[in-house]
This record gives sequence, structure tokens and C-alpha cells, in this order.
Amino acid sequence: MRILLSFLVLILVAGCEPKGFLIEIPFKVKFEGMDLACSDTDSTVALSDLRFFVHDVRLVGQEDQEIPVRLVRDGVWQSRNVALLDFEDGEGACMNGSARTHTMISGITSDIDAKGLIFEIGVPESLNHADPLLAEPPLNYTDMHWHWASGYKFFRGGVVTDGDGFWMHLGSSRCQGTIGDIRGCLSANRPTIRLDGFEPGKHAVVLDLATLFAAVALDDGQPTDCSSGPAETDCEAPFAVLGIDFASGDSKITATPFELGPAE
Amino acid sequence: MRRALLLIALFAAAGASLLLLFQADDYRWNLPGNVPPPAVPPDNPMTRSKVELGRFLFYDVRLSVNESMSCATCHVQSLAFTDGRARAIGTTGEVHPRGAMSLVNVAYASRLTWANNLLDRLEVQALTPVFGENPIEMGMAGREADILNLLRTDDRYRELLPEAFPSDENPYSMLNVVRAIASFVRTIVSFDAPYDRFQAGDRAAMTDSQVRGMELFFSEKLECFHCHGGFNFTDSSTHSNSVIESVGFHNTGLYNLDANGAYPEDNQGLLELTGERRDMGRFKAPSLRNIDVTAPYMHDGSISNLDEVIDHYRNGGRTIVDGPYAGDGSRNPYKSVFVRPFEITPDEREDLIAFLHALTDQSVLHNPEFSNPID
Repeated sequence: MRILLSFLVLILVAGCEPKGFLIEIPFKVKFEGMDLACSDTDSTVALSDLRFFVHDVRLVGQEDQEIPVRLVRDGVWQSRNVALLDFEDGEGACMNGSARTHTMISGITSDIDAKGLIFEIGVPESLNHADPLLAEPPLNYTDMHWHWASGYKFFRGGVVTDGDGFWMHLGSSRCQGTIGDIRGCLSANRPTIRLDGFEPGKHAVVLDLATLFAAVALDDGQPTDCSSGPAETDCEAPFAVLGIDFASGDSKITATPFELGPAE
Repeated sequence: MRRALLLIALFAAAGASLLLLFQADDYRWNLPGNVPPPAVPPDNPMTRSKVELGRFLFYDVRLSVNESMSCATCHVQSLAFTDGRARAIGTTGEVHPRGAMSLVNVAYASRLTWANNLLDRLEVQALTPVFGENPIEMGMAGREADILNLLRTDDRYRELLPEAFPSDENPYSMLNVVRAIASFVRTIVSFDAPYDRFQAGDRAAMTDSQVRGMELFFSEKLECFHCHGGFNFTDSSTHSNSVIESVGFHNTGLYNLDANGAYPEDNQGLLELTGERRDMGRFKAPSLRNIDVTAPYMHDGSISNLDEVIDHYRNGGRTIVDGPYAGDGSRNPYKSVFVRPFEITPDEREDLIAFLHALTDQSVLHNPEFSNPID
């Protein structure tokens, strides 16, 4: 399948954009630096869910210029601008979801001589409030729909520890207007992730959920959650880690639970 | 010759569009003459075949993850499409923070559910019970393939879906499921209560006590009608002739946990969406039609009968003496100005309750067109 995909991409590259390069960016999930999975009998922590959208992926070139990465549209996980990453496999602590996963994004870019990577988490505002039943993949995936809140869950992830845990649903809040006619949301809640030093082919993007949930009580016997409601105080700490000011919903490029790791 | 051809083309076009119009909207509302039809989204016009399909879907437990819950589980016809519980329970046992709302005349609601200023169309609302996860209602998140598979393989849906959506190349879609359910739910209208017949000139339709209760209800002394006014007894109503949309959310002083107006953490009303402190405890005023059969009352079912509801408003809010929700709701700083103490004699109270009973429309509770069509 991978070979077939690469072959198709080569045709695409050859046909439409002779100077394009195909790049693949692997993503990984860890907890305190250790691999994290839905079912892991050796660990006291298990993944309960992890799915998130990324968009506006771009490389940072040697002259600090931003080089857009046009995603390879595959009819399942990626449109031209939005990709869904999916780490949950429906096993173990991952009670909802499916066996299918998608942990690497692929795209075409005009240059791969890069010293950094920038991407946004979530669905672009221009797509966030359209009817999800008419959307193209990956935006037609009902697990990520947030019907009553007028948009998508940008990010859903959580861990379980022994009888405890935390989960988080991130999305825009304080939206204005009515569904079908949303004028925008006061809290955009779209984190911007910037990873200096990223080199295509060499690095993977690693999300450490221990960093994201650092200030959350994971072992007080009281499972908690954050679903991005503007009044949910449990959201403040993980939002801050994602570089989002909880009160305004603005994204600042600061602390991040994302880091670089080896590609293989 | 060219003119003749043009004329023929024009006639043909006119004929085709007439035919299209006829197909697009062959549903006839069963409404008294003084009631305008509901506003229907232009992309989902009413048709009889969609309504029929929607009725089967509404009662189909296969739309839930464990095939044990349909829309009708929480929206029971004999209870004016509520479930009689304080808080609804999902198909996997999760308790919803709020009670199932009546679907009667929901086609006229300008906003849907208890406290959502964004949500104004049934086609979108229908997705939340099916796919919602927090709490789980019907539990189908991520399982739309199962629903589509059901539609494609079930004999009845293989017949009804292409009929309801004749111009769709592939009618087996979630979009068509919610369009059909919304169409069916819009047909559940109720304007045949004793109150309606009294208004239409049948003076015998209401008792003297009910008439006195009606006068109290619409009095400045009790203020009920400010929020529960209009043809549907709620200020969040709209219809096909509406010019200015009416939407109202009100804090009625049910709680005051911290003397600063707090409602219980899992149930703070409009504030949960807007984050605005002034929206603390603001919920939609539900329609009072069929209110006698939709107990218990309030968004969280925390008042069990109409007598206690009157106590709540008579005191200008509820005082809870002890426990985690203790507080004097009448002093909630976010309370609506219309909720203030009033005096009511035992006779007046009896009349008021009698009037509320006059809002029960037996026909909507028993109309076979709204009943379960599945054998």
C-alpha cells in the first residue's frame, strides 16, 4: 500500500508540480518519554484516545522563509490542507474508535532544505462550521464532529491510570451566530506548534502526553476532563501547555508538549 | 418559428418547475387557520415520503450502539414526547445532566435544547443524540458505517430512502437520515388543547376555574407570560411569517450555591457555551403546552410537580436549606427581573393549575400518525 501510495505521489509530482518533493512526517505519542499505547500491560498508564487534526503545515527554510506543505489528498485521512492523525486502535483502554490508525502525514513541498516545522492543530476556520455531513474526508469522520458546538473537535486525547485519568476535547468555543451561519468564535483555541531544528526525513514529531497533562491530577482517584467549555477550569492548565490563553483562546507560540524525535 | 420554439421551451420549463414544486412539498400541515406553518429550512422541504421515512427512523432502536434505544426512548408520545425522568439516561446507562425536552411544536422553536444559542435546526440537533459522547446518548460516534449499512440492507429503508430522496444518486447517507427524522419531528404539532378550542370560540372548552387561572397566568401579578407567552407558551418561538426572531434564556433563581449566583457545576446553562458570567443559570423557557404530562420540571427535573413549581415562582426563586446545593436562589444576582415574589391564595393556585391542565392536547398524545410504525 505504501509503495502504491508513493508511486501515485510520484505521478502527481511529475504531472502537476515538477519541482515538488514528497515528504513524510511521522508522529509519535509518548508518556514521560516512554511509548504509549491503548493496551500496554507493562505500563501503569495507557492511552485512552488520541486523534487530532493538523493544517497549514509548513517547513521553515534556511532563510527563515515558510515553505508550504501541500498534503497528499488520500480520500481517508488527508485533504489538501487538513490531515487527521489517529493513534487509537480500538484496543485496551481505547473504548471508542476503530482499529485503523494514521500516524504519518505526507505532503508535497517545493523545498526540503529546512531547519524547522510549523503546523496548526485543528480545522481551519473556513472549514470549521460547514455541514460536516457534506464534508470531504477527513472532516466527515463523526468521532471528530461537535454538532452542538457548531464545529469540530480539533483534538481528542486522554490517558487512563489505575482507576483515574484525564481526557481532553479541544475545539473553538464562544461561537457567535447560529449553526449554519456562524460568524466566528471568540475563542479560536487553535494551537500553533513550532519545532525548530526539524529536518525532513530525519525527525519525527513526538507528543508527550505527560507534558500536556503535567498540571492535571492523574492519580487522585477522580477522573477529570476538559471539553473546552469557556467555564471549565480543568482546561486552563493543558491549554497553557498548548500555548493557548484560556481566557481569550489566542495561540501564542510558547511551551509545547510536542518535541522532535528520531524518524525511525 | 424561433418565437414558437421559445414559447414551447418556456412552457416546458414552467411545467417542469411546477412538477418539481409539487414533488418538493406535498406535505399538508394539520393546523388551525390562525396558526402559521413552521419555518422549514429551504434545503429540506417537507414531503410525505420523508415524514414516513423519518417516523420509522425515529422509532428504530438500531440507531443506537447496543440496539436498545431509539429517539422515542426519551421522547415518548403519551408523555408529550418526554420520558418522565428528571434526567435522561443514555443507552449505555450514562445519566444526562438535563431532562429530555418535549418535541411537541419543536418545529416552532427558535433555538433547540435547554441552553444553546447556536442551535436552530433540527437536522443538526438530531446528530447530537445519535453521535454525542459526553454524555453518551445513542452511542454511535464513529459508527456511521453501521448506520449506512443498515440503511442499505434493510428492505424497508431500501424502499423508503430512494422514495424520499428521488433525485439523490446515493440516498443512503446520514444527511438524509437527519433530514427525514427532522421532517417527521416537525409534524408533531399541537394546537387542539381545551385552551385552543376556547380561543377559537368554544366557551365550553374550559371550566370557569380554568378561565380564572388563564387570567392569572396572563396577569402582571404573576408575570408567567413574559417568558411563557405567545402561541406556543415560550418566548423562544418562530414561524414561517416571523420577521424578528424571538430567543430567550432566563435564570429563574433555582440555585445560588455561593451567594454569587452559581449553579451546580455540571449544569450552568448558557454560560457553558458563552463563558459569560451574566449567562449563569440561563435556560430556555420551555413551551408549557402539555405541561401536565411532562413532569418532573426544570432543566434538571429538580421540581416534581406543578404545585411546587408555583411555590418556586411565588417565592421569587428556590431556597435550598442544606446539602451540596444549599443557597437562596431568590437572591441569585443573575435572576430574571420577571421572577419576583407574589401572593397567591389557595383558590387562585387551584385555578392556575387547572389552567395549565387546559394546555394538554389529547390528540397529540394519541394521534396514530406519531406512533410507533414498527410491528
